[in-house]
Amino acid sequence: MVLQPDVFVVVPAFNEAEAIGAVLDELRPTGATVVVVDDCSSDTTATVAADGGAIVLRHIVNRGQGAAIQTGVTYALRRGARIVITFDSDGQHDAADLAALVAPIVGRDADIVLGSRFLEPRSAIPPRRRALLKLAVLFTRLTSGLQVTDAHNGLRAFSRRAAATIDIKLDRMAHASELMDQIRRSGLRYAEVPVRVRYTPYARRKGQRGVHALRVAFDYLVGRWVR
Amino acid sequence: MTNFQTIALVLAAILFAATLAAAAARAINRRAAFAWIALWIAAAVAIARPSITIAVAHFLGIGRGADLVFYCAILGMLIALFVIYLRFKRLEREITTIVRHLALRDEEAAEAASSEKAR
Repeated sequence: MVLQPDVFVVVPAFNEAEAIGAVLDELRPTGATVVVVDDCSSDTTATVAADGGAIVLRHIVNRGQGAAIQTGVTYALRRGARIVITFDSDGQHDAADLAALVAPIVGRDADIVLGSRFLEPRSAIPPRRRALLKLAVLFTRLTSGLQVTDAHNGLRAFSRRAAATIDIKLDRMAHASELMDQIRRSGLRYAEVPVRVRYTPYARRKGQRGVHALRVAFDYLVGRWVR
Repeated sequence: MTNFQTIALVLAAILFAATLAAAAARAINRRAAFAWIALWIAAAVAIARPSITIAVAHFLGIGRGADLVFYCAILGMLIALFVIYLRFKRLEREITTIVRHLALRDEEAAEAASSEKAR
């Protein structure tokens, strides 16, 4: 697949030394510029990422996924990115989906493209995960008013204009809901494309537990009040 | 006057003086100083003339003056907790801004150093 170097792939990573090497091996042939934001990992994530040919930004204090993504996006914009993609570091996403993900932006049909595992029949979503994610989608539809099918997918693409408009302020996991709010308020055009999510044993072990959902919802609701 | 009243009033007077000193030294801003001074005066009045709190309590339908003071104290602490929580959130955001700034600056420095070496 051919992506130009002015397509930046931002990979937020926290203690992903085990998995991030394979992720970068998958991203390298795409031709995009890969930026890993190491969120103060205690393992060798930063070294593995640098060896994997990525530009590595390092948070000196752990600030959470939302913060790491915003750092990567800010960096990409400064380096003249035309398109910014966010891509998880645990190996759950498939680099083969990137071409379809950027297509609506290249074709000027959308400013933001959201990956949706629920539109993709090949996503073998574990039943409990599916139930939780569906609840989260319902929550997002109620709070943001956006009729998305998958609100918590880490694979997204932003046009330069969209990336510059979005400003993620919620440091931890509530940034996904915050993003939906910002999309609606900004009036940016969004599209959803089917993407595959690989539920590897590793990704499932590292992933968010169901009990965290309440904390995330609380962070989000408080975040709406704090400036 | 009971011993309790004497001790509590002396304490309120000390806190009152400490607040004035802090305000004079600009350790706290004017608005905070007024709020604290109002609190110490209210406390002193409630201690010296318990009949006033009883009257206010009865007016509100609360049985005892001590209960009124107790409820007000709990309410005040909850408000303080909430204000501190919001301030804490804001502080977290500010930390993130600093961490982000450093991450970007460190990368820029490394980039400059490596291009220097290449030359």
